[in-house]
Amino acid sequence: MTTDDLDRILASEEPLVPSSGFAASTMGRVREAATAPPPLPFPWRRFLLGLLATLALSGLGGWTTVRLHAVEALGAAFGSVSAALADAHLGLPLAGAVVALAGTYLLVRLTLGFTGASR
Amino acid sequence: MDRVEADLDLADVRRVLAGDPEGFEGIVRRWQGPLINLAYRFVRDRERAEDMAQEAFLKVFQQLARFRGDSAFSTWMFSVALNVYRSSLRRRALPAVPLDAVAEMVGRSAPQLALEEAQREELVRRAVAALPPRYRDALTVFYFKDKDLAETARILEVPEGTAKALLHRGRKLLQRKLGALGSVPSSVREAHA
Repeated sequence: MTTDDLDRILASEEPLVPSSGFAASTMGRVREAATAPPPLPFPWRRFLLGLLATLALSGLGGWTTVRLHAVEALGAAFGSVSAALADAHLGLPLAGAVVALAGTYLLVRLTLGFTGASR
Repeated sequence: MDRVEADLDLADVRRVLAGDPEGFEGIVRRWQGPLINLAYRFVRDRERAEDMAQEAFLKVFQQLARFRGDSAFSTWMFSVALNVYRSSLRRRALPAVPLDAVAEMVGRSAPQLALEEAQREELVRRAVAALPPRYRDALTVFYFKDKDLAETARILEVPEGTAKALLHRGRKLLQRKLGALGSVPSSVREAHA
């Protein structure tokens, strides 16, 4: 099959005539679309606020953990570890997890809170 | 595309953007034929082509505010429609070209081939529709737009050189695929001339 054959065949397609109701049914759908509420945009502002809050809480948790570890290490080095610090040491991983979970919950809540239910 | 048509398009676009969706009816009536015919070249099925064209009109309506007037409205509209058609084809591809039918035609006498010319042409068109998407799109839009390379490139949103390369490779691929069909008999060519 030559290029000329292809050219001739592909350039000579018989045009279809649209069905009689095509324009009317298309306009019906257009009218529906025109009256439908616009799609909700992604709530970037809430998402960013939530993200910042999560980062701040995680940072605070991390900083507290490091600080208490440092105090404990110093205490051990000087042979004066207090019972209070020992308790804090045991509770720290749990406290960190709670802070991270709370931050994540806040982020999800702020983001999802924007959808239909809140309107 | 004539100037009057372009002016009518722009007037309708302004009307819709001003808040009157009825202005879109003029666009639908003027372009329903071309949009359905472009879709048909991709799917070779009238009903599906009309469904796809309707989706395309809807998308054009929804995205009308994005039309900046950098190109003719029709060019932008065909570009949006092409993206709708591509998505539809990704969801449901055209059935493969029946190569058995091609093989059956080989070796027939000239009169038989002349009688089967319509079938043969349909096979060629289906073969285009079954090419890898970038070649399929380039060839389909190019022949649909009366071999206007610049307009084809604008609709495909690629540089002209890229469109030219896609057309060249697409034709070669098609010729390889359709090699078994041989050349069109001269009697048939004359009948079409």
